[in-house]
Amino acid sequence: MTDRLARSVIQPTNPRLNVSRNANLPHVPGIRIGDYIFLSGMGPIDPQTGERFHGPIGEQVRMTLGNVRHMLECAGSSLGRVVRIQVVLADIADMAEMDRVFREFFPVDPPARTAWSMQLRFGNGCEIECLALAG
Amino acid sequence: MRDVIAAPRPGLDFRRHFGHHQSPAIRAGGLIFCSGMLPIDPDTGERRHGTLTEEAHCIFANLKLLLESAGSSLDRLVQVHALIYDSIEYDVLNRVYRQYVANGPPARTVWTAQSEAGFKIQLDVVAAA
Repeated sequence: MTDRLARSVIQPTNPRLNVSRNANLPHVPGIRIGDYIFLSGMGPIDPQTGERFHGPIGEQVRMTLGNVRHMLECAGSSLGRVVRIQVVLADIADMAEMDRVFREFFPVDPPARTAWSMQLRFGNGCEIECLALAG
Repeated sequence: MRDVIAAPRPGLDFRRHFGHHQSPAIRAGGLIFCSGMLPIDPDTGERRHGTLTEEAHCIFANLKLLLESAGSSLDRLVQVHALIYDSIEYDVLNRVYRQYVANGPPARTVWTAQSEAGFKIQLDVVAAA
């Protein structure tokens, strides 16, 4: 067996985006293990207020990806280092709108992506989970 | 290192055929992460709708092409998320799935979810490079 990989917890600088702590949930925003950063699934939380935002789906995706960017940058990584991303939508019909906003955040060499729809909690329109390389 | 794996066959380029803003697969840190695999004709990019079994055969054939072009193979799968349209097809999935992972199957989670275009199955895959 090789040496054990170092494991640490990732926290956002913006405390309003620390959903797991604010809602006292049994998970953390993210974990760094070795060179990888695993983020928990993130929903459309308004970074100004910490409240859920349930406006148009394009806006929800934009807000969520903005929060993903914040989380990665707090961990010394960036959207450009995202390897794999999983986009869950409440409605599969929102795929095209999601894709339209998605390309604003990943202008070149986008990550591997899997998208699907299933029922989401709290009435959220999207939930995004990703894996990135550390900085 | 983060490398984009190009589509091994023209039909497997989802950006070209469906405008999806994603790479076919990314190699990073000794692992290969594939975009959601769907039953697409590898030459023409046409959707190959069928039974779950037919769609799964098509997906595994595409996955084999993609992984082998990246120097990996179906024997090197690490983790699979199988998204099926209805949990009633769970046994059907297992029956076709086991044909492709006979030697040491990977970790797997099955979810019931809706995939684009009414496909019955989608695989989200990680393999060792």
